[in-house]
Amino acid sequence: MKISRRHVQNLGWRWSGVMAAGLMASAMATDHSGYKELQQAFKSGPEVTRACLVCHKDAATQVMKTKHWTWQSLNPQTGQMLGKKTLVNNFCIGVASNYPYCTSCHVGYGWKDRNFDFSKAENVDCLACHDTTGTYRKPSGLAGHPVYVEMEFPPGSGEIMHPVDLRKVAQRVGFPSRYNCGACHFYGGRGDGVKHGDLDTSLEAPDFELDVHMDAIGLDFSCTKCHAGTGHQVHGSRYSPITKRGEGSAARERTDRQSPATCDTCHGIYPHSAKTMTNTKPLPGFTQQGMAAMLNRHGDKIACQTCHIPAMARGGVATKLLWDWSAAGKMGADGKPMVKKDAKGHTIYDSKKGAFELGENIVPEYRWFNGEVKYTLLGDRIEKRADHVSINHFGGSPKDGRSRIWPVKVFRGVQPYDPVNKTLVIPHTYGEDAESYAVSFNWEKAAAAGMADVGAPFSGKVEFLKTEMIWPLNHMVAPKAKALQCQDCHDRNGSLAHGRLKNIEGLKKGPLFRLGK
Amino acid sequence: MKWKKIAGACLAGYVLGMPHVADAYEGDWKRGHVYYRMVCTSCHAVKAGGPIGPNARTQAEWAAYMQANKHAKGKDSVSYYVSKPYRESIASTNKAAAKFADVPEQELFEDLKAFVSRSAKDGDAPTGCR
Repeated sequence: MKISRRHVQNLGWRWSGVMAAGLMASAMATDHSGYKELQQAFKSGPEVTRACLVCHKDAATQVMKTKHWTWQSLNPQTGQMLGKKTLVNNFCIGVASNYPYCTSCHVGYGWKDRNFDFSKAENVDCLACHDTTGTYRKPSGLAGHPVYVEMEFPPGSGEIMHPVDLRKVAQRVGFPSRYNCGACHFYGGRGDGVKHGDLDTSLEAPDFELDVHMDAIGLDFSCTKCHAGTGHQVHGSRYSPITKRGEGSAARERTDRQSPATCDTCHGIYPHSAKTMTNTKPLPGFTQQGMAAMLNRHGDKIACQTCHIPAMARGGVATKLLWDWSAAGKMGADGKPMVKKDAKGHTIYDSKKGAFELGENIVPEYRWFNGEVKYTLLGDRIEKRADHVSINHFGGSPKDGRSRIWPVKVFRGVQPYDPVNKTLVIPHTYGEDAESYAVSFNWEKAAAAGMADVGAPFSGKVEFLKTEMIWPLNHMVAPKAKALQCQDCHDRNGSLAHGRLKNIEGLKKGPLFRLGK
Repeated sequence: MKWKKIAGACLAGYVLGMPHVADAYEGDWKRGHVYYRMVCTSCHAVKAGGPIGPNARTQAEWAAYMQANKHAKGKDSVSYYVSKPYRESIASTNKAAAKFADVPEQELFEDLKAFVSRSAKDGDAPTGCR
């Protein structure tokens, strides 16, 4: 904790030695409740930010350099400008023209259209990441603002949302917890667990079985334990991930304290040893030391995640597997938009969004991956075909010396497409205006509004394209007893022809050895 | 005498800088979440006909339930299930009970109240059984 002159003034102490000793003792608690700047009846988020910046003078400037603020990320390998601001996905498709809804997860206030002022420090939202009360929420549709006055939300639902007590929240700020990060990252794709498959609210208070690192009564890692950084930069992006063995460990030696979130950053590049294999029965002819060495050799070609994340959506929250926008627009018997749910209460149809498939405990698919990620951007030409077109590509092959086999969630969608320009389109899907698909149920109108907002050409025609996206799995790390076993990939003759990696190119599929009985 | 002044200053600073231990205890909703999930829900899932999500009730309903302190339609009390004897009785099979073995009962009860209030149907963050 940095002890500033401001702390001295706020506490009114003149004996700085006493003050310093006291603050050092309480550094972990960092009680903000006594600070006079926070004794206000705040009426808005920006008012809170102005108060924060009285002491934390550099904080907003730092945040404004991050992806959390810009929603842009230049991939140095490909030169592509990535990030939510520009990307097209096959969940909610794109931010353009849908700002007030998407930007409830922006670390800012007021991004309601394309004219948002990214240079205004008071627009930075400190509380989204630093609230410890669990009461600070930014509902979809309010352009990143929390609720300031009592309101019915969602409109017409009869549910009343009460204003957040900004003073209370501001006085109780702290380090980000899983709840803070999860408020957005658990809900990607407009719902709990929808997008990632390995991130959902079951990780708020997980047990050891669900995630050995985040186990709430064990190691209890916060997200920032691995996604560590300085100056509000958070490392470990899927836009430019580190995948090659050893690069994470090397990063740990850096003096700038960057810590890309990789397994070997902490576990080293040879994590298995006779000690870690103590409770593992060795294969015939192997000692435990030999087993450890063999598993370490696997690490040359197999990412740690492949064995240690045996399934996704393991915490009781289903993840979305398919989103078919082309099915949207059907009305209920009363002629009004309808929502259908399955026996478990999952929404499987919504007139405004289309049809969905969800699942729990899903076995991942696997890909060679060398860390290179390339996206299909708006404007890139795509030829329509019968099967799914990949709109993000993982680089990798068995022969490049850099790739390892990773577990991935493959998310499949059917999304609007411009058949004349042969491009993806960003439709205006949310909102109460006449152009919104949620009101007009007219794809041409919605696509025209969305593409106009982003300034991209649009022919006026809409067809639908089957697409798929790949999402790397990194969380929900199972205990070693629940990790994949030899027989999950190999048969008794060692063959890989029928196990989990049967579709992976470049692996010898024939007999390799005998696993024994 | 100088070292005494320094030591006194450090002690005064330490005491003044400590969290307000004398203040009335305010429930830790995060700890309440862990206890709710790992003790209450894990037992309900097996022995009581299924888990009950905090979002199954309103804040007022939860407040009334906790105030009445009647569990299983009055067969026993809610507070028994945060009591030290109860935690000790399941500590060998329940890691959360073991972890929180020494937490004062009233604190744990307040933690639970804070969590269900926050996570109720009309709370700040409605939460299911997770």
